[in-house]
Amino acid sequence: MQREFMSREGQIKGLILDPRTKLLLILMISVFVLGGAGGLKLFILRPILSFIPFVMLVTSGRVGQGMLYALAYSTCYFAQIVLLPEMTGMGSAFILIMSGAFCRFLPGFVTAYFFVSTTTVSEFMAAMERMHIPDKITIPLSVVFRFTPTVMEEANAIGDAMKMRGIGIFGRKRKKLFEYRIIPMITCSAKIGDNLSQAALTRGLGAPVKRTNICNIGFGFWDAVIICICILVVVWSIAYM
Amino acid sequence: MDMNVTQAEAGRLGGKDLITIGVYTVIYIVIISVFGALGFIPIFIPLTAVFCPLVGGIPFMLYLTKTKKFGMITIMGTLIGVIMFVMGMGYWIAIVGFISGLIADLVMKAGNYSSAKLSVLACGFFSMWDFGNLMPFFVGREAYLATLEENYGAEYVANLSSYMPMWMMPVLLAATFIFGILGGLLGRAMCKKHFERAGIV
Repeated sequence: MQREFMSREGQIKGLILDPRTKLLLILMISVFVLGGAGGLKLFILRPILSFIPFVMLVTSGRVGQGMLYALAYSTCYFAQIVLLPEMTGMGSAFILIMSGAFCRFLPGFVTAYFFVSTTTVSEFMAAMERMHIPDKITIPLSVVFRFTPTVMEEANAIGDAMKMRGIGIFGRKRKKLFEYRIIPMITCSAKIGDNLSQAALTRGLGAPVKRTNICNIGFGFWDAVIICICILVVVWSIAYM
Repeated sequence: MDMNVTQAEAGRLGGKDLITIGVYTVIYIVIISVFGALGFIPIFIPLTAVFCPLVGGIPFMLYLTKTKKFGMITIMGTLIGVIMFVMGMGYWIAIVGFISGLIADLVMKAGNYSSAKLSVLACGFFSMWDFGNLMPFFVGREAYLATLEENYGAEYVANLSSYMPMWMMPVLLAATFIFGILGGLLGRAMCKKHFERAGIV
């Protein structure tokens, strides 16, 4: 199964946003939804911000994923509102922690997913360059995006191989489980990483000239809408404090 | 920005180094997050300061065999900090990640990037980034616990704050360093036992 993070083609339909706007959205959600800035007074703000990734998913043609997200989020949200004041005890504590964690992490996760699945590496590099972020941060960061699915895939494949040999938490060699799974994963990933850097150097990454980019990025109408919402949220939170 | 094709002669970071940083950052984070995910259960939160530096030592010691220039460890620390911040660990982690990376880099530079003893020490300093994850519990404690209460309920927070009293702060800071050094020793042993044989050092 091929999983890919940074897509080969850019976003084709829907509300096309500049990569910088998407990054702003991720930042806003990680500060306000994940970080819980503003505390209880801004309680209403979190569902509003969490609604934006839903709109983005649905309009970009990922209707199924969007619906799934909306369903999961609203279930957890109402579970929190209804059950949180009433339930006590260990069993319900588990449900509460699960739903609380979902409410906290899901919007950020979905926004990050939207970002990596609708932005090409070139668009990302172009956006970072416009923000005057040095190559020394941009290149490693784009490698992180490109390489994470590969490492996860390797880890799963090694897990399968170990299961076939009966090595697992419930199987043989429990004490050496960690070593048996981590070491091959590091070895494989390091070798793939070497190949990756050879490929990138062949395409001229290390060349002593400035890298050019043909990607056309820029702010449009929908960027303005999102940025306005973000500014409103920030002003609102400052006013409350 | 001019980058030299012949990187070996120049002290600056070239394309190959930058890719190496990215690759090892991913390996490091994937391994760490297996144990970091335990932090959903309150009693495991202080223990992440033990497990994460310990297992992180293995990829980090391998990474140190690839770093020969100043800046690579600093950038890795910064990247881990920024990624952890986006994943919702609070803004302190971005600052702590940069600082611990910088200290580890300076330690390695003092040994000209080839001293085996100093690389274990550098691993100890680098592992202190993990303290940034726990810092919201101690700096701005009231506000942080209030935001947790909104999502997880009062019982969970009372439980959690009994596991994380204020005196735990220096203990956890020391734990990240000590277990970072132990992780470094473990990583060095693993490098000798596995990675040298596999030919990737």
